[in-house]
Amino acid sequence: MTYRHQEEMSPPPARRVTDVAITRFEHVYEVEPALMTEHVTQQSFPNWDTLRLVRSRADHLAWMHRHFAGKVISGEELLHDLDE
Amino acid sequence: MPDPDERPEKEFAEEWRDAAYNCFSSGHKFCREVCPVMQVTRNESWSPTAFHANVVAMEKGELEVADVAADYVNCTGCGACEVRCPNSLFTGDFYRFRTRTVDLVKAVRGLAVEQGVHQPGWRRWNQLTDERRHEPVLDGTPVDQGRVRDWAEGLELPIGGESILFVDCEAAFVRTSVPRSVARILSLAGYEFGLMNEQWCCGGPAAEMGYDEQARRFARHNLDDWRAAGVRRVLVLDPHDYITFTEDYPRYFGDAYDIEIVLVVELLAELIREGRLTPHVPVERTVTYHDPCRLNKRKGVWREPREILRAIPGLTFHDVDRVSQWSYCSGGGGGLPVEKPELTAKISEQRVGKAAELGVDTLVSACPWAERPLSDAGRARSIDVVDLHELLAESLGVSP
Ligand code: SF4
Ligand code: SF4
Repeated sequence: MTYRHQEEMSPPPARRVTDVAITRFEHVYEVEPALMTEHVTQQSFPNWDTLRLVRSRADHLAWMHRHFAGKVISGEELLHDLDE
Repeated sequence: MPDPDERPEKEFAEEWRDAAYNCFSSGHKFCREVCPVMQVTRNESWSPTAFHANVVAMEKGELEVADVAADYVNCTGCGACEVRCPNSLFTGDFYRFRTRTVDLVKAVRGLAVEQGVHQPGWRRWNQLTDERRHEPVLDGTPVDQGRVRDWAEGLELPIGGESILFVDCEAAFVRTSVPRSVARILSLAGYEFGLMNEQWCCGGPAAEMGYDEQARRFARHNLDDWRAAGVRRVLVLDPHDYITFTEDYPRYFGDAYDIEIVLVVELLAELIREGRLTPHVPVERTVTYHDPCRLNKRKGVWREPREILRAIPGLTFHDVDRVSQWSYCSGGGGGLPVEKPELTAKISEQRVGKAAELGVDTLVSACPWAERPLSDAGRARSIDVVDLHELLAESLGVSP
């Protein structure tokens, strides 16, 4: 709740997931930072901003579901339909 | 003829080109329908997409800042376009690179002022702020340094201390019952705090209108004042100040910025959760809540105000979810009401119209700057606009 600059600018330690991705927050994946040093460099990203986007995405997807999804179909069902 | 590589626009574009191409190469305009200015004007030159495309044109030498400076007035800094843009919402955290329309608009305004291109209303507003140390909030309201703590008369609050309450110019000089309510509530909960020794405007409005040097000077003054009084924590009731203290000040002062910033709405929700505040006086109103752009869209703060409202007995609360409200705005931010009050009024009318559809008698606001345009629009539809802090104070049985 309290904003503390030092804390915001110190993200949790990164754990490698694949050659090109890391993770710092649970279920949140990031591109390997070394891949963004030449053409486009990464922006300053305080922790609150990462979490704001992650939560906004979840809220937005839930909102889209509520407004536009008539029914939810599993991937398995879709594949089954394609096979037929 | 000036060397094309030394054009200020060229230098500017070097800094902003990646952010601009991030939009220009997508250009899918998911941002359009959530942009309040776009909604009421349908002017493509005043769209987030255009704000980015202009940077590409500046880089290529097709445009000077003087050609487009007036277009950049048309933005409330609400942040809807940023959060709705797929390049933020779906990939921003992945790449640690997101759409930066709000910062870009501020930066172009800064470039314009640097080049001597002024908007008359903004120039005057910032000149007066510079002279008085506070914004000239309402014609006729005396604004000067000697009166900045007048709102607290009789509350017997100490000066300085570990935690201080920062009160924005609108609340300190015009909406004085808002900070008085906040002070009474915090005292009721036994939360200790004081006031600043010599508070100046936070500098945020100057930064938003492009007067960067002034913004930094004001920020420096406030930080020095806090340090001199041994302040560790600043309580903030205004969402605009909250942005200034958590985004502008860190950029100005870097790692040396060691002041904790606490949003009052979040603190109050916590005090209710902990049982240190128990709203008990019924407030018989049918309300909806207006998410201030700077809390909901720009900071992701939307739960706590609703928690407070749900704790107030007697209220009938017709909530509109936070995602639907990404496209709502009061029109009161980003200096728009200073230069284009007619656009602010249109945006507010539209917002109050949404409230009217719900059949409510009250629109609850949590931002002193949103309140004035919303109240003007509310009068036409017999909808009261009431401040969240004041509503809570009423239910706690404390009068301002
Ligand atoms: S700001 Fe985002 S949504 Fe809008 S046009 Fe640009 S890339 Fe698309
Ligand atoms: S910040 Fe708000 S007003 Fe400004 S361009 Fe984006 S959506 Fe429009």
